[in-house]
Amino acid sequence: MGEEISRLMDGELDDEHVEIVCGQLKHPEGMSAWMCYHVIGDTLRGTDRCTPGFSRRFSARLAAEPTVLAPRTRQGRTASFAWAAAATVAAVAVVGWVAVGTLDVQPTVMAKAREAGSVRSALVGPQAVPADYLIAHQEYSPTAQIQGVGPYLRAAAAQGPDGRP
Amino acid sequence: MTAARSLHSPIAEILLALTLLSAAPLVRADEGTEWLDRAALAARKLNYTGTIVYQHGGRVETSRLVHMNDMGVETEKLVNLDGPAREVIRSHGEVRCFYPDARVVRIEPRTFRNAFPSLSPLQLKSLTEFYEFQKAETGRVAGMETQAYVFEPKDGLRYAHKFWAEIGTGLLLKARIINEKNEVVEQFTFTDVVLGARVDRDMVKPSWPPSPPDWTVVDTGPRDVDLTDTGWTVDKLPPGFVKSVEGFRALRGKRARVAHLVFSDGLAAVSVFVEPVGATARATGMLQQAGMNVYVRQFDDQIVTVLGEVPAATVRQIAYSVARR
Repeated sequence: MGEEISRLMDGELDDEHVEIVCGQLKHPEGMSAWMCYHVIGDTLRGTDRCTPGFSRRFSARLAAEPTVLAPRTRQGRTASFAWAAAATVAAVAVVGWVAVGTLDVQPTVMAKAREAGSVRSALVGPQAVPADYLIAHQEYSPTAQIQGVGPYLRAAAAQGPDGRP
Repeated sequence: MTAARSLHSPIAEILLALTLLSAAPLVRADEGTEWLDRAALAARKLNYTGTIVYQHGGRVETSRLVHMNDMGVETEKLVNLDGPAREVIRSHGEVRCFYPDARVVRIEPRTFRNAFPSLSPLQLKSLTEFYEFQKAETGRVAGMETQAYVFEPKDGLRYAHKFWAEIGTGLLLKARIINEKNEVVEQFTFTDVVLGARVDRDMVKPSWPPSPPDWTVVDTGPRDVDLTDTGWTVDKLPPGFVKSVEGFRALRGKRARVAHLVFSDGLAAVSVFVEPVGATARATGMLQQAGMNVYVRQFDDQIVTVLGEVPAATVRQIAYSVARR
């Protein structure tokens, strides 16, 4: 089950499997695997964290919002941004929906959803490269070897408190 | 000079002068690699403890380092002193990173030092061909006497590297990477250091059990780094860069493996990662991260990520030269 959930997060599942795995997320084991993978991902990327209770407050506010069935028609060039934003809201909404009914969802789940949103609305600019890419690089950097001060300094720096380099 | 004088020929004098000039950098480059070898050896062999300040892009991070070599077995503990706690323990062919706030331990295989005890002959050749070695000033760093030396690049495809070595042992107490505008790209400095310190096992022990019971353990495992032909190549490699490693590895907790190629000129390294485009879309373009330039681009159905402690132009050139073999 863990592998399927991981693939869902990476968007590697076809529609049929998405249905099945979303079903699994309604069970506590599925939900805990989902949260666990997001915590790992967030930690590795150093994504900034939400305050506790964010998901509950968000779910409440989302429930109070009127349902938008279709994005409003926009003109010309802004269309792609509008669609990107719609996709973002959808992603957040799905997570919000999944979160309802679990007692206390890890705030990081929402952080992840927000991050997924920022990636999807794309085009804005490159995001930080995950820390494990830097660790992998550092292993083979001659400078790191010569310095001997721990090749992991750079990688550790890549995941600062604010999550941004 | 007696030979030149006896010839009484200005041409012979010029020839001799040219010979001397061209011979001089070679001699100095050898001295440079000797310094580097000495530094690398000292970093492994000595026991030392110290505080390291790492500066890059206007940010400052401070860490505490303890290094122990017990009968040839190295153990190292690195703890950051600002922000959320991070602890890195290197020992027994692996690296454990503890993230107490997230209750995660990440275990990475440590292939590097076994694979590369020192610079390869090709890397040494690049070092002498593409950098000019200069002995610089002597002075104090972390209260100890040091000799500074500089590797100046001979082209715009790499940065200058300046090192401050403790005179007695050769251990680097300070290292700086400088760009073409003479700005510091990144810098490591010991602010205090004890060389030949008494270090016992307790000082390099992790603050937690190796795998705390209620933590998540992410183990990439040695089998996940597979040194093999990836089917990828860089066809217009900048001069002086030589491939030092090629293989597949698991990254971002993914099962799908990422091709990883590393190219080095003896001082700087550039990593090339190639992976299929996933739904976790990565924006493309240039960015700077932790003293490195990073270029991300899409190539057919693949995402190419190139990063290294080299100028942006070098990273971009490599990113656009990635091709299927």
